Amino acid sequence: MPEESLTAIAAAIRARALSPIEAVERSLERIRKHEGRIRAFIALEEEGALRRAHALEGEAAKGQWRGPLHGVPVGLKDLCHIEGLPTSCGTRIPEYFTSPQECTAARRLLDAGAISLGKLNMTELAMGAFGDNAHHGDADNPWQPGHATGGSSSGSGAGVAAGFFAGAVGSDTGGSIRLPAACCGVVGLKPTYGRVSRAGAMVLSWSMDHLGPLAWTARDVALTLNVMAGRDPADATASRRPVPDYLEGIDRGIRGFRVGLPENYFFERLDPEVATGVRAAARQLEQLGAEVKELRIPDAQHMTDVAMLIARSESSALHSAILREQPEVLQPTVRARLEVGFAISAHDYLQALRLRSRLTRTFIRDVFDEIDVLLTPVTPEPPPALAPLKAGTAEAFNARSGRFSSLTRPFNGYGLPALSVPCGFTAAGLPLAFQAVGRPFDEARLLRLAHAYQEAAGWHHQRPRL
Amino acid sequence: MAEQRPQQAEVAGMAGVIERLAGELALAEEPACFIVALEGEEDAAPDA
Repeated sequence: MPEESLTAIAAAIRARALSPIEAVERSLERIRKHEGRIRAFIALEEEGALRRAHALEGEAAKGQWRGPLHGVPVGLKDLCHIEGLPTSCGTRIPEYFTSPQECTAARRLLDAGAISLGKLNMTELAMGAFGDNAHHGDADNPWQPGHATGGSSSGSGAGVAAGFFAGAVGSDTGGSIRLPAACCGVVGLKPTYGRVSRAGAMVLSWSMDHLGPLAWTARDVALTLNVMAGRDPADATASRRPVPDYLEGIDRGIRGFRVGLPENYFFERLDPEVATGVRAAARQLEQLGAEVKELRIPDAQHMTDVAMLIARSESSALHSAILREQPEVLQPTVRARLEVGFAISAHDYLQALRLRSRLTRTFIRDVFDEIDVLLTPVTPEPPPALAPLKAGTAEAFNARSGRFSSLTRPFNGYGLPALSVPCGFTAAGLPLAFQAVGRPFDEARLLRLAHAYQEAAGWHHQRPRL
Repeated sequence: MAEQRPQQAEVAGMAGVIERLAGELALAEEPACFIVALEGEEDAAPDA
């Protein structure tokens, strides 16, 4: 499993060179060996996965295929509601979230033949950029013990990187797919707002939440997005646009793509190794035929503030019951974040929503008239060691967390598709990543760019030694 | 003067930015314009 991508596993199963049972058993063997350190799971569903693998193997033997993910092991962030399974959302309350319907995005993967190995670790209530969890244990970075996995989809990123499963569902309100992808050296996509239904997933902020896939390669993410995306009557914000085939044309290269590096905001106060890694990736894209230029963009700090205020207001409203009735069950860092929302006025919240519209329009017009893809770092620093961070106050922790997500959060506000792509390692062996951002619903271009880059750079052939 | 709690300081910082920027908003600007901004790009996004 660790040497194989989701695409390769799906193809091997389809060719009957690998059975779903073998795929799951290989995953479980690896999980048994390494889960003690990685802590990717909140609930491992060993028996259920094997039962389903046997059923899918029987179908495959008869030439019956559920879909493109038939027999492929995946993991689901523990805020996706699946019937019969508890959804803790990273809290210590096993059934914190219940829903009259299953998580559409996760259900679509399962209906396409994927096998869920279980519910994945995450920061409590999906709040927090580092991947710590006081109740279920901190997920650990597969590349470097003791370092942050990124959050909030910590188990999704760590589990893919550890080779526990080939792909995972994550959610992203301020960077929660892209940060773990970057910290764990895998690919993670926050799609355009509305591209993937959020129905049946815990809401943190209805204006900022996105669901999306994490996997080893851009091709894997394209394959997964093909299955997850599309309209959904259960989610009024899900776009009615048709879903293109994200695999079609992914191999066509990037000659003529106009790629922009922002002069302002994204490279300010940046760790030098991160800056070097992203600029090296830009040079590689240029060698592949892209036209790379630097440009000044609308100040993303404005959208960061707007997006933060909206997210804080909505998350406090949504989770007010637990905060008022059982504050003691929440981690101090999470409690402190939720309390912020109580102090925000309706006036400021509504002004922020109005501003979001204008800032988005301006950003799309000013940036994407000149370029096709904006290239930025994902994080301002490599994945930090977790213990020193946790030793400080909740306020200091949250301030650092806010800074860590400051390069991803603007794109939750703008609603634009943003893809985290690994682009090397620090001298200490920690993953580096760039973020590719595109026009609304232009995920195909981002995946094509990432695929071309991965094929040329080859970083995805390196795997962590656990 | 009593020291502000960190949460209050965070809110004050964000609200200050919002208030300053909101002064330039047109009366017609409303939250739903966000979806229009995204969906309105349909014809502008060329095929990759």
